[in-house]
Amino acid sequence: MTVQTQDPLSTAAPPSPRAPRGARMGLVLSLTLFGLLLVLWIALSISTETFLTERNLSNLMRQGAMVAIIAVGQTFVIITAGIDLSVGAVVGVSSVAVSLMMVHGFGIAGAVALTVLMGVAIGAFHGFGIVQLGLPPFIMTLATLTALRGIGLLVTNGATISGLPGSFTDFSLSSFLGIPSLFWMVILVAVPAYVLLQHTRWGRYLYAIGSNAEAARLTGVDVKGMIYLAYMVSAGLAAVVGVLLAARIGIGNATQGEGWELQAIASSVIGGTSLFGAVGSVQGPLLGSFILTTINNGANLLAVNPFWQRIITGGLIIVIVYFDQLRRKRR
Amino acid sequence: MTDAALIDAASPDAPAEPAAAVPVLALQKLDKRFGATHALKAVDLDFAPGEIHAIVGENGAGKSTLIKLLTGVHRRSGGELLWEGRPVPLGSPQEALALGINAVHQEVVLCRHLSVAANLFLGDETTRFGLLRHRAMVRAGQAVLDDLGFKLRADATLSDLTIGQQQLVATARAATRGTRFLIFDEPTGYLTRQEAAQLFTLIRRLKAEGVTVVYISHRLEEVFELADRVSILRDGALVSTQRVADTDEASLIRGMINRSVAQVHYKEAVAFGPEVLRVENLSGPGFSDVSMTVRAGEVVGLYGLIGAGRSEFVQTVFGRHARTGGRMVLDGVPVAIRNEADAIRRGIALVPESRRDQGLCLNLGVGLNVNLAIYDRLVRGALLDRGAERAAADRQIRDMQIKTASRDANASSLSGGNQQKIVVGKWLAHGAKLYIFDEPTVGVDVGTKAEIYRIFARLLQGGAAIILISSYLPEVYDLADTLHVFRRGRLVASHSGAKPDPEAVLTEAIGA
Repeated sequence: MTVQTQDPLSTAAPPSPRAPRGARMGLVLSLTLFGLLLVLWIALSISTETFLTERNLSNLMRQGAMVAIIAVGQTFVIITAGIDLSVGAVVGVSSVAVSLMMVHGFGIAGAVALTVLMGVAIGAFHGFGIVQLGLPPFIMTLATLTALRGIGLLVTNGATISGLPGSFTDFSLSSFLGIPSLFWMVILVAVPAYVLLQHTRWGRYLYAIGSNAEAARLTGVDVKGMIYLAYMVSAGLAAVVGVLLAARIGIGNATQGEGWELQAIASSVIGGTSLFGAVGSVQGPLLGSFILTTINNGANLLAVNPFWQRIITGGLIIVIVYFDQLRRKRR
Repeated sequence: MTDAALIDAASPDAPAEPAAAVPVLALQKLDKRFGATHALKAVDLDFAPGEIHAIVGENGAGKSTLIKLLTGVHRRSGGELLWEGRPVPLGSPQEALALGINAVHQEVVLCRHLSVAANLFLGDETTRFGLLRHRAMVRAGQAVLDDLGFKLRADATLSDLTIGQQQLVATARAATRGTRFLIFDEPTGYLTRQEAAQLFTLIRRLKAEGVTVVYISHRLEEVFELADRVSILRDGALVSTQRVADTDEASLIRGMINRSVAQVHYKEAVAFGPEVLRVENLSGPGFSDVSMTVRAGEVVGLYGLIGAGRSEFVQTVFGRHARTGGRMVLDGVPVAIRNEADAIRRGIALVPESRRDQGLCLNLGVGLNVNLAIYDRLVRGALLDRGAERAAADRQIRDMQIKTASRDANASSLSGGNQQKIVVGKWLAHGAKLYIFDEPTVGVDVGTKAEIYRIFARLLQGGAAIILISSYLPEVYDLADTLHVFRRGRLVASHSGAKPDPEAVLTEAIGA
């Protein structure tokens, strides 16, 4: 790919001393979040003996991977000024679906493919409700959040599905080049997501819709189609995470992924996404989710009371997003 | 207010020289910088009690900055403000309101879901034991409206009113709060003729009561109708302040733009080509039974009052709304346009009425906005060709002379005229055989207006056809080859070739 030639100034731009401000701001923002992540890591390496161990770092990457992937999907939706509250429920129902299929003799590849396809179909259903029925995204995905949990519980009768093939569950423990396979999945998702958002016209359309859907529509943008796309990406990635989760914990359970939608939204917002739409990136939610995961991981290692952990996490979200907004206002 | 009355009575045929009284507000070397931008350059101005003072200038001349300094939204960078001779800091909107300085803005800033009365008394509600007294407020609100001569109901919900009527509510709100200094920013842009007349009556009455009125408008004939004095701003500096009686339209325009008047009205005849669009008995939401033809090289003007169905008609032609009856023939072929994308594919382009709500992605870059219609051409396979994207954006910014810091600057950071150039430029980049312009020059400065007219000429010479909607009669009257008049959703009159005089056209639009 010869796309990133990074030469915005030398092309004949209108006279301007600070031409690539948008791009530079994005870079500064990611760098600063990355800086925060580094500071957290250094602080934890000094204050605990267990943080900087291969075992813990692998664990951190595996933990963070799940939320990171749904946060990327969530960001696609938020950029269109929407919201997808159903992703946690999709994770749960997907873990059930993939487990059921494997227990009933489907091959691993077939079960995984069908489960991801189911996720995409759920996303299409969200698109249908929002575009064709005109429901607000919040309501539409709140409804499926409830209903999908119900479906998962109904199908399993509330039970946990176990007995998954070892070759399936081994994936979550495996590594490639010393890095957990689960983390490779993040990269496998993030790279195409980045290309889609920044290097295709559909990415531009998503931003345009989030900024002003009416203007986009009057300019000939297929607003309906793009909204379908955003929700299909989000639910599809949530289904992928459901599969990964089933592999990691070795079971399928409809109540898994509880509250993950909120973690995904928090990761996205920490990563600089605006809930008003049209502002967001792929690298932002990735950093956001690993910051959240590091905070939890560090609090565990420091033996902080888990009830306090929740309070601290909530407080930190407010602080991080506040400073981020402050920085962007000041430019 | 008795003072003003006394002066008027004492010298009925020699009106009091406004500058002679102690100015209610005096600006001394008022200066404002935004970073590197010098928005207002050492402006000296004074406003007399009971004076109507017009301020004119192109977009970006510093009018909006001046309003924001006077209403306490921004703080000045240098200079002094004297209120009745005393220096005042004027550092917050609250302080401005406490002094009696108020403004009616171009865009209505009211609560759309509340009643007219609730909006009138917002922040100043009548209560008993902490509970609202709805009926008392509606009664008081109605009294205010009746007293001002506005034909509006106080219990109506604001969103049920037209934009013009909402503007009158905003005016009533500003005029009834102990206001002594009232700024109007382009108040008649969305008003019908009757509404404008009601507004002018109110302004004259405020003047008689000793209120100072600052009147900002691109419509110079309003300046001559209303104002005592007129000040010209250009590039942030004061060009001149004159009594209106001592100047004329041509010299004002010269002062504003430094370009000759001849360039401002630009129209040359182009031979008509084949028929591009024919609609027969077309009906849709808000209009019915409209028939017309549009030929290549022709400007078809649609005139009427706001709400006459013109915008709804063109939006139906553009596929935004479904038609409920009639036929549409494009290039001799009957068509059923399914949606906007379909219309664009068939060669129709629409520059919508509200550039903020319908034309622009305000918090995205200028480049994305001008390219939005042509992204399907800026690709290599599935991927975007980012070099081509940048080049296309820069070309359009240069061609349209859009004044922007860069192609990545947000569209919201540009002045109204430059924003309109983005919307127009987007369609020039795409190309079409029928361009529909819906109120293309509302809130646009004289210079940009002239550029838009020049673009019309260029499009016509290139063989395109234009449908032009305007509520500004001189504009459609001068530019249209064929002029259609709409009234209450129907096409009531059509003129091609020699037109009747403007008064007759107005009468058709209003209905006798």
